[in-house]
Amino acid sequence: MLSDCLLIVFISICTALLGEGLTWLLVYRTEKYKKLKAEVEKQSKKLEKKKEGGESSDRSQKKKLERQEERLKNHNRDLSFVKMKSMFAIGFAFTALLSMFNSIFDGRVVAKMPFVPISLLQGISHRNLGGDDYSDCSFIFLYILCTMSIRQNVQKLLGLAPSRAASKQGGGLFATPGQLNTR
Amino acid sequence: MASSTPRKRTDEKPVNGFLTISTLSKAFASGSTWEDKDEFLDVIYWMRQVFGLVQGLIWGLLPLKGFFGLLLFFALNLGIVYLYYNSFQKIDDEEYGGASEILKEGLMTSFAAFLVTWIIIYSSLHTNS
Repeated sequence: MLSDCLLIVFISICTALLGEGLTWLLVYRTEKYKKLKAEVEKQSKKLEKKKEGGESSDRSQKKKLERQEERLKNHNRDLSFVKMKSMFAIGFAFTALLSMFNSIFDGRVVAKMPFVPISLLQGISHRNLGGDDYSDCSFIFLYILCTMSIRQNVQKLLGLAPSRAASKQGGGLFATPGQLNTR
Repeated sequence: MASSTPRKRTDEKPVNGFLTISTLSKAFASGSTWEDKDEFLDVIYWMRQVFGLVQGLIWGLLPLKGFFGLLLFFALNLGIVYLYYNSFQKIDDEEYGGASEILKEGLMTSFAAFLVTWIIIYSSLHTNS
């Protein structure tokens, strides 16, 4: 059991690095991305500062703020488009990899959980496993948990995670797929 | 590529998650002043990750089981962060957009790290297969 667990941790570290590496190759190192990211960051910070500065009843001020918000939204959208391309490539690669690992660990109990997950999660945590013991853990559940923690930490360590100001301002509608996956 | 772009004068630190020595010494000193909000939130983030791992280790070794273990994780993790910023650093959470903004910083990542260590330690020590 322990060797399976450690193998899964290792796999998720590798896939996190691979994913970030691929994204770096396809997106992060391009001039267009760098320019857009810097722009978004600058504007988000500026906007946040302005908003903190207090509500102004001045009409022209308000209009200016709205215009800035609009511009930021456009930039955020462009940024998402630039990222999209690599997200698709990585998505395909990872689906193939995951199905391979799935077949390797098919029907194998990789770990015993100290708790029984809620019924909503049992579909994942008990995937492809026989028996009624719902504290058995499947490969996919442990892998998802590992990826949740490792991927975000890797992104943060490498300085690739979106900055707080940008994700706060641009979050919601234009949140990038990567952000949604890791949060 | 980097050499072709003109060096920009910036008064902000580069956007990455590393904690520098000066940040760390500030983090361990009570009542430090934090001009950069992100710096403080990074401290909270990494503190959380370490706590998550340590908690997972302890929960697995004891072992704690069931939903009590999960609840205790959240209670302790949130409690420690609250005490840290409120009593130790004496931060006004309104500056950060409310207590929830600080309390939820890195919570899910820490929770995932906690679950992974808890499950691995528990299943390798306390189950016979």
